[in-house]
Amino acid sequence: VRSELHFDAVVIGAGTAGLVAATRLAEGGARVCVLAKGVGSTHLAPGTIDVLGHAPARVDEPGRAVGELVAAHPDHPYALLGVDAVGEALAWLAERIAAGPLPGYRYVGSLERNHLLPTAVGAVRPSALVPETMAGGDLRSDDPVCIVGTRVLRDFHGALCAANLAKAGIAARSVEVAIEVDRADANAVGLARRFDDPAWRASFAAQLAPLLQGDERVGLPATLGSKDPHGAWADLEQRLGRRVFEIPTLPPSVPGMRLFEVLRSSLRGAGGRLILGAAVASADRADGRVAAVNAHAAGRDVRYVAPSFVLATGGFASGAIELGSDWIARDTVLGLPLRGAPAPGEQRFVREYLAEQPMARVGVAVDAQLRAEGAENVLVAGAALPGAVPWRELSGEGIAVASGFRAASTILSQATAGATA
Amino acid sequence: MASLSTDVLVIGGGATGTGVAWDAALRGLEVVLVDRADLAEGTSGRFHGLLHSGGRYVVKDPRAAEECIAENRVLRAIAADCIEDTGGFFVSTPWDDPDFADRFAEGCRATGVDCEEVDPAQALREEPRLNPDVSRVFRVPDGNIEVWKTVWALARGAQARGARVLTYHAVIAIHRDGDEVTGARVRDAHSGEELDIEARVTVNASGAWAGQIADLAGIEGVRVLPGRGIMIAMNHRLVNTVVNRCTMPSDGDIIVPIRTVSVIGTTDEHTDDPDDHTVLQSEVDAMLDDGEKLVPGFRRARALRVWTGVRPLFEDAKAVDTDTRDVTRAHALLDHRERDGVGRFVTITGGKLTTFRLMAEETVDAVCRQLGEDRPCTTRTTPLVGSESGEHYRLSERLERKEEHLRDDQLICECEMIPRRTLEETMRRKATMNLDDIRRELRLGMGPCQGGFCIYRATGVLHGVDGLTAEEANGALLGFLQERWKGVWPILYGDQLRQARLDDWIFQGVLDVEHLPS
Repeated sequence: VRSELHFDAVVIGAGTAGLVAATRLAEGGARVCVLAKGVGSTHLAPGTIDVLGHAPARVDEPGRAVGELVAAHPDHPYALLGVDAVGEALAWLAERIAAGPLPGYRYVGSLERNHLLPTAVGAVRPSALVPETMAGGDLRSDDPVCIVGTRVLRDFHGALCAANLAKAGIAARSVEVAIEVDRADANAVGLARRFDDPAWRASFAAQLAPLLQGDERVGLPATLGSKDPHGAWADLEQRLGRRVFEIPTLPPSVPGMRLFEVLRSSLRGAGGRLILGAAVASADRADGRVAAVNAHAAGRDVRYVAPSFVLATGGFASGAIELGSDWIARDTVLGLPLRGAPAPGEQRFVREYLAEQPMARVGVAVDAQLRAEGAENVLVAGAALPGAVPWRELSGEGIAVASGFRAASTILSQATAGATA
Repeated sequence: MASLSTDVLVIGGGATGTGVAWDAALRGLEVVLVDRADLAEGTSGRFHGLLHSGGRYVVKDPRAAEECIAENRVLRAIAADCIEDTGGFFVSTPWDDPDFADRFAEGCRATGVDCEEVDPAQALREEPRLNPDVSRVFRVPDGNIEVWKTVWALARGAQARGARVLTYHAVIAIHRDGDEVTGARVRDAHSGEELDIEARVTVNASGAWAGQIADLAGIEGVRVLPGRGIMIAMNHRLVNTVVNRCTMPSDGDIIVPIRTVSVIGTTDEHTDDPDDHTVLQSEVDAMLDDGEKLVPGFRRARALRVWTGVRPLFEDAKAVDTDTRDVTRAHALLDHRERDGVGRFVTITGGKLTTFRLMAEETVDAVCRQLGEDRPCTTRTTPLVGSESGEHYRLSERLERKEEHLRDDQLICECEMIPRRTLEETMRRKATMNLDDIRRELRLGMGPCQGGFCIYRATGVLHGVDGLTAEEANGALLGFLQERWKGVWPILYGDQLRQARLDDWIFQGVLDVEHLPS
């Protein structure tokens, strides 16, 4: 039996772009539903909101650099969004995080200056809006750092991180702390659960404190709690009597999962629905519009009908865009036309891993209002947009937040215009 | 300059060279083996992993077929742990000449290759993914052989008998004293230091590079015709039996299941440069099309990696430059005293992996003749290190081993199930700054994620174990990342492209390795 549900807007994809769009729509009074195959980008990404990190030289002032990027790359998503929209969306997101379910947890930063945060391998990574729990690692400060590693966490190597920071001219060293866990294969999520426990934290701090020297700040893998990360972080700062900061590990990303929880909670608080495990199987398309999408969830087929859709399904990494063995790229969700793909027979990738790959800028073709070509009531957001190289330029979250926000605003203003008319 | 002297200097650390070192060491000779890179980094490490039954050659090259089946039986006994007994099928697909099947069966009878015709329905029960339109099926004793395991077992066995193995030592000169070769000068690729090795006999076992080494000795006309072939590893065991097209040898005529993957091979293009690793788009497409003929739906599987190997085909009078497959797969042993009047120098080239032991035996026989010593070969009956029990490798072994340490050791490479302690021990022993050296021994990064998760972890472990500087650690990380990408980018599509983007997320998005301090 097939049932049918009606919404004002249906968002496809539960990464940053989709959740931002849906939350904003729900706050604007729209009845909104998010359909997603599973969780998205948040669980992989470091949890920072990067706007622009490399262009290709290191970006110190992301707001200004976005302006310059837009002038040189009119096809870039930022060119469609404009730098003011990015700033507005970031401010909105920072408010949601501060008002979210994690007490005291907040993001700091703006488009004025990038933070320069150490990565787990000890590279210096620029980012605009970052968790307060990471901000203490900002390498614009000369204060010496001590990176803390632990053998149980194979996804973070403190000594390697410190060695590279030292090479970059930062006063950095590392120490190892032995942590007893049930299983050798502890990951960041497992460790974060331990940091939620005040007694465990106290014994960890007692073990670490004598290893620290002078006025060092302390870099730890980003595992400082999942339920109350602000509390865990503040408690450690107090117990150690010095600045403490988190460094993102390999996935799963604890800070990213916190961001997911914040957005999910905001969405629900505003009355929106989120259905995970509901992959869109097909779409009903007619007259240049999508009338409904069909998804299979909780053992039944459901037709989701809405006047507007947001396609926030990501690019190749999520499987939303796929390159076939015939070398043709396709949108696997709605079958919409793409832009930016090299034609079959043209070079798709190049020999040098770190060079720009010709296939990298592929996305769903859109107009200046983010409307999908061939489906005027579908707005595209996030990594599904063409024209960016998010990993190389460190722009993924900035694009996701700003385009998700913009897509929602467009739908809300259309609804208002429709109601007025 | 440092120098050392030995009975036998072996140039080349592939299966043949390590086989010669093992054979000579067993006969009580002092051996030094040198290679410009790591063991099995040339042709030996770049094939599909087939242990030939000989079936492939029964019509085209009966002598090669006879050698293969004889050596197949020997290797099953002495290198059991390196071999998985998958068995093999030769199948007539709708694209194959139906008359060839009878010639094939007759060829097997004539050459002694064990062969049993199987009802296609039975073959499909055993291999359900096989093309249901196959008309004839023959069962032969093909298998797969893990080349790195084999080569390291040979090297360790030789080392245990006093042999010295110098990897990353390139030959820069061959020393001549009149009409005799007296040894070679090698250069350490890492330190740049040079070393003179004086040898009673020098063996040129450098395969596709044998002509270059012979040139250094001032011997002309050793022409090895490099034949370049591409192979593609598909994730999963699409078949569990080696599947061959029952036809004259041609491109894309075999799928070899080995470890967790299936390898399709191969092409054969003449190249002038044995270091030519070109992969053409047209070759990839042709290989995927050929896969479809044997296993319908082949293209929908995930293509993990593509690589090229260069066959060392010794040129004979009948060779035609444009089709190297017409050159015999049998090997060539050149005693340069007889051939060129230059003593104490022997070249062994051509052949195929399955016959490496025979090649080594004949080579060391020639060495003994040059030395005027009577030392009988014992490799035919001496098991390799690790193969003493005579039990073949089973795919489930690694799970069994992992279960023993499930709770007390981390997995660093989850795809290939490499525990941290194993990795640390190997890193200590090899004292290398290169993760690719570790890969060839432990299969690090060879699974579906192609290093996405293990490269950072392994670099961190290597940094700790070997006390590397940041610069060296970054070199290991970036070098391995590039090495993995090399075999991935020409075949990226479907889920493997998805995987590659996830790996980008890790290396570029999370770690920002492009901006490590330099």
